[in-house]
Amino acid sequence: MYTPPHPNRRALLRGALGLGTAAALTACAGGSATVRTSGEITLALWTHDPGYEAFFEKGIPQADRRTDFRYHLKVTRAGAPDIVTKLLAQAVAGRGTPDLVGFEIGSFPRMLRGDIAERLLYDLTDDIAAVPGLKADLLPARTAPFSKDGRVYALDSDTPMVVYFYRDDLFDRYNLPKQTVTWEEFADLGARVHQEHGASMCVVSTAGSDAGQVVQSFQMLLYQRGGAFFDADQNLVLDSPEAEDVLRFLCDGLRSGFVIDVSDYYGAAMQTALKQDRVIGLPMAIWYKNYGLVPNVPEQKGKWRVKALPRFARGGAATAAVGGTGFGVIKDKANTQATREFLFNTWLTHDGQVRRFTETGYLPTRRSVYDDPRLSAARDDFCGGQRLFPLYRELLPQVPPFHQSPDQSILYDVLAGNLLRAYHGDLSPRQALKQTAADFRDQAGR
Amino acid sequence: MTTAIAGPPRSTGDRADEADTARRPKSSWAPYLFISPFYLLYILFMLVPIVVSLWLSLTEWVGLGTPHWVGLRNYRLLATDISFHRALGNTAVFVLVAVCVVVPLALLIAQALNTRGLRVRDLWRTAYFVPVVVSPILVALIFGLVFDRQFGLANSVLRALFGTGGVDWLGDPSLAKASIALVMLWRWTGYLTVFFLAGLQNVPRELYEAAALDGAGRLRTFSTVTLPALKPVTAFVVVTSFIGAAQIFEEPYLLTGGGPAESTLSVTMFIYRAAFQRQQFGYAAAAAVVLFVLVFGLSRLVNRLLGIGRAS
Repeated sequence: MYTPPHPNRRALLRGALGLGTAAALTACAGGSATVRTSGEITLALWTHDPGYEAFFEKGIPQADRRTDFRYHLKVTRAGAPDIVTKLLAQAVAGRGTPDLVGFEIGSFPRMLRGDIAERLLYDLTDDIAAVPGLKADLLPARTAPFSKDGRVYALDSDTPMVVYFYRDDLFDRYNLPKQTVTWEEFADLGARVHQEHGASMCVVSTAGSDAGQVVQSFQMLLYQRGGAFFDADQNLVLDSPEAEDVLRFLCDGLRSGFVIDVSDYYGAAMQTALKQDRVIGLPMAIWYKNYGLVPNVPEQKGKWRVKALPRFARGGAATAAVGGTGFGVIKDKANTQATREFLFNTWLTHDGQVRRFTETGYLPTRRSVYDDPRLSAARDDFCGGQRLFPLYRELLPQVPPFHQSPDQSILYDVLAGNLLRAYHGDLSPRQALKQTAADFRDQAGR
Repeated sequence: MTTAIAGPPRSTGDRADEADTARRPKSSWAPYLFISPFYLLYILFMLVPIVVSLWLSLTEWVGLGTPHWVGLRNYRLLATDISFHRALGNTAVFVLVAVCVVVPLALLIAQALNTRGLRVRDLWRTAYFVPVVVSPILVALIFGLVFDRQFGLANSVLRALFGTGGVDWLGDPSLAKASIALVMLWRWTGYLTVFFLAGLQNVPRELYEAAALDGAGRLRTFSTVTLPALKPVTAFVVVTSFIGAAQIFEEPYLLTGGGPAESTLSVTMFIYRAAFQRQQFGYAAAAAVVLFVLVFGLSRLVNRLLGIGRAS
């Protein structure tokens, strides 16, 4: 009878190595795909903003009450562009992706390239349709930037209307009217104020290292004037009379001193300009109070006020919307269902949207929430106790639509350069826009 | 006639060793095992990425899903891409600054630091070296403040001295390039100075004494003694500076973001932008391959010109 030989030491070692490798490979494979439908659950949340982290943490009890889950959050914070880069890297690796991701609006177009969004993000369209009245209640201007082919892949955090921030004390001292006037009249006043007091009433960013900032200064007024970067079909529509109007307005403002160029809206240059009373007002999205004014000039608390933008004499709306962060759910994971339910039961509830404004300053993305009396009653200490919400509610119908394109970063790169050349007087506004369109066509779609 | 050469008588020990050797397997894996970590790492982190990059450069890939084979399309597009041409031109300027300005300046500073009787030599050496160890983020922050058009230190100094300021250091295309070059100069000169200083300290004193006896002046001594003695160090410094400047990324990325109007966009920034801002991984890989070929080819040429690796 044949007796199998006892394995020697080398064979045992080989076997152990093989088993170890197999175990390691198994461990490296993706986690269990069994869908979780109830119970204790820890969601991995990636965000660039601690405000969102706090919001979701506080929303856990509400989500627990409304779902079959008991939620915990594991939060990872990273820079806005890094979140997309890391997400894609983890997706390629096949593991380590988060459950819930906050996409800063300027970084989201990367998800629109090819079929990345479809492959990676859960399509929220049907879930939105399943909640009675929700689809009609959500502002299309805030779902469009995070949509592709009519499918919604993320839910926006804000309706970041552009308003005019101004120093109430200095406006009084310089006898400046506070009623909304046209931009053209406002620019004349601004030129006078600059001549007499060395102050400016409008700002453009010239931060070379941040094309987004340079573009933003122009973008706010462009959208207010009725222009746009892209249409709903992602075609470039920048080269327009509206765009030329706005760029000429800014260039003229720079020459007269009504507009000042500051290298960074958020950094030392802006801080200096604000502290030295060189900037006494600026058009900006509502979140700038929390990210630009409060951190840079806390001692000016109570001196700032908010009002509607002046209008352009040749047409346009009373506001625009700049910025935002869309929260998306990663698809085909064990936690996908739990994450969807968490998002809907914190982010989209009426109370959740009220809380978002009162705790973080971000405006609701549902029309119906604008009628909530708690929001109208809220007062803002930094703005001298001003009740801001009635103004925002008044502006809401005029928020223009905003569409993004996967080639948006190309546009930002070429537009930023040409804007700076126009500001310097090296190109006329017309030439700058034509050159931008030509450069974009040359680079897009490579 | 043949002559037999008899060796020394063999001892019993020798015979025992021979027997041991005969018993051992003829090809042992042990040496290969010992050197394998290097080759494994080399394959994993050098050869595999190079091969994958080459393959990726022949595809179109957004970063997720399956890459689509497009053959040489990416290379054809690069050949007509104005941005890429600008990036190549800008990089060439940075390389010229590094090789033609930073290296000679470092040599001059090293020569000055090597002067006999110089006090607190170590302090000077440290002062010149410090910029290398400062985080690039800090460098960008500090120089961002220095070069700010409205509130920057550079313009304040100009205003105080000449009554004129408002120079747009980072916003004007030509000045932005010059500003990056200035930062390069500030950051790398001290680093290269250390190499030259080490080389200078190894030049035999007797050569200088002989030159002095021959009546050579400072310039003559420098050109006939110092420069030839420093040739190996110079060759090393030139090649590493060339390769480093050809891959410049941090300074323009942090200070100007490649702008304005792509006037400071380097090739590595072009690659980064294509891959991580525009999701064009195939295109980025093609640009990386072009950069690799250019750097490799030109550094071989520089090696040959400087006679690196050849017997003197």
